Amino acid sequence: MNDGVHKVTVAKDLQDLIPTFLKNRKKEFDNLRIALAAADFEQLRQLGHRMKGVGVSYGFERVSALGKSIEDGARSGDRASLQESISEYGEYLATVQVAYE
Amino acid sequence: MSDLAAAARMAPAAAAFRVLVVDDDPDMAAFLARLLAKEGMRADTVGDGEAALARIAADAPDLILLDVMLPGADGFAVCERLKAEPSSAMIPIVLVTALEDHESRVRGIRAGADDFLSKPVRREELVARVKTLRRLHETRRELEARRLGAEIQHKETLRKAFARYVSPRLAERIISEFAEDGTPFRREAQRVSVVALFADLRGFTRLTESTRVDEVVGMLNEYFSVITDAAYRHEGTIFSMAGDSLLVGFNVPFPQPDAAERACRAAQEMVAGFAPVLASWTERGGAPTGVGIGIASGEAILGNVGSPHYMSHTIIGDAVNTAARLVQMAPPGEMLVSRPVYDAVRGMLAPERVRSRGEVALRGKSEAIEVYSVRL
Repeated sequence: MNDGVHKVTVAKDLQDLIPTFLKNRKKEFDNLRIALAAADFEQLRQLGHRMKGVGVSYGFERVSALGKSIEDGARSGDRASLQESISEYGEYLATVQVAYE
Repeated sequence: MSDLAAAARMAPAAAAFRVLVVDDDPDMAAFLARLLAKEGMRADTVGDGEAALARIAADAPDLILLDVMLPGADGFAVCERLKAEPSSAMIPIVLVTALEDHESRVRGIRAGADDFLSKPVRREELVARVKTLRRLHETRRELEARRLGAEIQHKETLRKAFARYVSPRLAERIISEFAEDGTPFRREAQRVSVVALFADLRGFTRLTESTRVDEVVGMLNEYFSVITDAAYRHEGTIFSMAGDSLLVGFNVPFPQPDAAERACRAAQEMVAGFAPVLASWTERGGAPTGVGIGIASGEAILGNVGSPHYMSHTIIGDAVNTAARLVQMAPPGEMLVSRPVYDAVRGMLAPERVRSRGEVALRGKSEAIEVYSVRL
């Protein structure tokens, strides 16, 4: 699933919004880890729900897909699945490359 | 602002279409605002339901994009409250939500949402939906502007029609009473202090005997034009016009502390204004005539007199009867006034034009009253 580098193409008219968007995703990742450690499934569900909504809107389809996994995992209380999704999210954020067109 | 200016303001204008984006996720709010701005709309953002309600109450937008999952009051609750409030009920609301289940959509419809947009938001879908709602909103606004324009036109027509029969201020009151509850002249009869002025075209009956019938109406119209103009200039209220006589009330229905002075000035202008008309009639071979005036003050009853089929909004009482008797005695170009009226206006009269008639017994009155004659 993770081929090492994630390339995302974003509409040029959103370019100035992307630094803030990515900064907020990194904060989100930290919050996901904290919530998972605390087994706060409601918080995990809400964070996943938000990722699902905002990701594709900006062109980050993977963010939405991982958000859905996290939301589903939180609903079913599946810690292993949540752990996997959150780890993948961290790797994704560390390697994502954005191009504008 | 005048009614017409208000109507013009409501007409579709080049002003930006204003959208309020309500979303607690700042990235989503910024994204939606950016797409709307690209379409030439002005987008503002707020992060929770209570802030949205306060913002909308202070400055209503043209459209609201409302996230469902908000801290505090959620999108459904905000939508319900906005649709229950008359001032915001007509603002289109698009519920923006990642909720895909059928139940949530139904809840949104019940809350009064006009449309839905699913997260993740697709640019094309957002633009298409907002543009459609914008067109609808602008069409509705244009129809409202037309309706308001027609209403103003109707009111203007009414005002003009009424103003031919009653004073402009009274016409204004009738129209506003009608607009309030559809019942003009609804007030109960009331006791009022009035200055009553009667004007009469002295010798007109004789004149009509020597004038062709078709000319009489034209002459009366010339005469009434002059004396009603004078009455209105001093904000008198015309209560009756019968034959060649006119009854004008001052201090009624609106208070006028200088009612006697207004009546006196109106009388002077009636006589002065009629002079050129009289000269033209004389030139055409008419018999000698002129305006006589009677003015008295005192209490009267203001109310609706008549039957359900024909009603007159008028003043009745001693002051009116006295003025009517005085005008019958007034020679052309003179006014006869009662003592209280004379006392109120003596400062504005040239003494050489005033003559006391002493105590005069008026027909129908048990006691004689002091009368003054003023040459105008």
